[in-house]
Amino acid sequence: MSNFLIETKQLTKIYGDQTTVNAVSIHVGKGRIYGLLGRNGAGKTTIMKMILGLTPITSGEVKVFGQNMKGGEKRIYPRIGAIIETPGFYPNLTGTENLEIFAKLRGTAAPNAVKNSLEVVGLPYKDKKLFSKYSLGMKQRLGIANAILHDPELLILDEPTNGLDPIGIAEMRKFIKKLSVEYGKTILISSHILSEIALLADDIGIIDQGILLEESSMEELRQKNGRYIQVQVSDLPKATLILERQFGVKEYSVQDDHTLRLYNTTLDMAAINKALVMQDVAVISSAFCNDTLEDYFKKITGGEGIA
Amino acid sequence: MEVNPFLLLLLLLSILIILWLVLKLHRVHEQLVVIKAALEDINTGNLNRRVLARKGDMTKQICYDINEIAMNSQARLIQHRQAEQAYKRLMTSLSHDVKTPLASLVGYLDAIEHGLVDGKERDEYIHVASEKAYRLKDFVTALFEWVKLDAGEQIFHYELIDLNELSRNIMADWIPILENAGLNYDIEIPEMECIIRVDPNAYTRILNNLLQNVIIHSNATHVKLCITVEEQQVGISITDDGNGISTEELPHIFERMYQCDHSRSAKGNGLGLSIVKELVSAHKGTVSVESALGFKTTFTILLPKALP
Repeated sequence: MSNFLIETKQLTKIYGDQTTVNAVSIHVGKGRIYGLLGRNGAGKTTIMKMILGLTPITSGEVKVFGQNMKGGEKRIYPRIGAIIETPGFYPNLTGTENLEIFAKLRGTAAPNAVKNSLEVVGLPYKDKKLFSKYSLGMKQRLGIANAILHDPELLILDEPTNGLDPIGIAEMRKFIKKLSVEYGKTILISSHILSEIALLADDIGIIDQGILLEESSMEELRQKNGRYIQVQVSDLPKATLILERQFGVKEYSVQDDHTLRLYNTTLDMAAINKALVMQDVAVISSAFCNDTLEDYFKKITGGEGIA
Repeated sequence: MEVNPFLLLLLLLSILIILWLVLKLHRVHEQLVVIKAALEDINTGNLNRRVLARKGDMTKQICYDINEIAMNSQARLIQHRQAEQAYKRLMTSLSHDVKTPLASLVGYLDAIEHGLVDGKERDEYIHVASEKAYRLKDFVTALFEWVKLDAGEQIFHYELIDLNELSRNIMADWIPILENAGLNYDIEIPEMECIIRVDPNAYTRILNNLLQNVIIHSNATHVKLCITVEEQQVGISITDDGNGISTEELPHIFERMYQCDHSRSAKGNGLGLSIVKELVSAHKGTVSVESALGFKTTFTILLPKALP
């Protein structure tokens, strides 16, 4: 079995004459947080619904835990927790009563599952408050509590921070991170906010108008993007000496035995190259990198940015 | 033929019981299939797998027990993995953050060794090289301290102590250093006693790191230390009127190796604040920061009075 908990191949959804999702192939690795980033209406929710088998697939393939979702629902569903759009709860029951119903329907992994999952999201157990009286933030939390009620391996969260205040968003982020780091859960999360995903995700898929523009790990993206000049030289200690003494350069770091990064991008590289060569330090290459993550996203989405 | 109505009823009843038992058996059989699949999965290393059980299931307790075993092993595995990652981070730091000052140190020493400089310039090179060597030494010391904290191996010695008195003593050592650095200062520590449980060494380290940062990074002209004693907690704040920290940088400053100027060779080592954070949380306290760019920065530590 491959190490992908979710794998889609050329997943496509056509409503009438409109292609909402166009040949999307995503790969969600075990134990990772995968961020699906895209504007409202880009097709994120439809992708998640197709993965979960909540809407028919026009063409393509979905594999969850290495198995086809179609026909395997009974085996696969108990291992997934999901929130897609607003979760459906009974308005005239309390949060606890609502969860107890779901616990009865799906079964649980531990005897005190309802209490535990409420505790995790910071809602009171056996509170008298009816669901209809909940604030949007509390409803969202109860949705999460319901998604983790049966301690699933895989969580699919569609815009879980929608409708939360800034503190709520930060708490949710911390909580999702915790589920991944401390409990080893695999999480597929969607958002239209770049900074949100950048802080949270290990891997990222960028969706625009139903097309997957890019799939990459955040680490790779961070490596590629930044403001610096990368110089490769023959004699690194000597190069640092020249840089420090002649040019007063202090902001640099050594990458490997021959590679330096200079963080002041306004330096006169022509003069530096000349000085290095004059003192027998060969300059093998020098490259200028001036891309922030935002610039990068603008570039691949065609200039308009993502948020 | 006459049918005994009593016998008929008995027959019906036994059929019902048999049906009920068959259903029950069927449910148990289903559960066993699920348990078997889960056990196979867990056996191949998927410790996140759980077996779900409903309230009325006969196999309920077995399911819960299997889950507990998987959960406990998972917790141990993750703990192990985290320790491994801390070690990996140490190795990365060693390779990145030690290489940079080391390369420059070698550069200076080579120049001296090969006789490229002489006289006064030579003395200056030796001075710079020695400074760099000392900074490297401090960095490695701080790095190991941080790793120890990160891995939870640091042992604290908590004492019941007058925090106000301890703070006054620490500041007494800092006054000449602040004056040397051309900093004005205000120190507002209440006269009364404030007995709380702290590790005095750790507390000293916290204040030292914060004050050191003011001197190294802020370009401030004035620094203020203020202690406020409340009913439940003690607040210690250090405010400077220096550069400030931009809102983009602010959320990251407590991260290890995060430096606002992105350079590895500049002063400081990117560990001070993450050590502060670890030490404060070991005291069950919180540390927070507020900053107005180009105007001022305030670090506030809150320590609960009822301590570990």
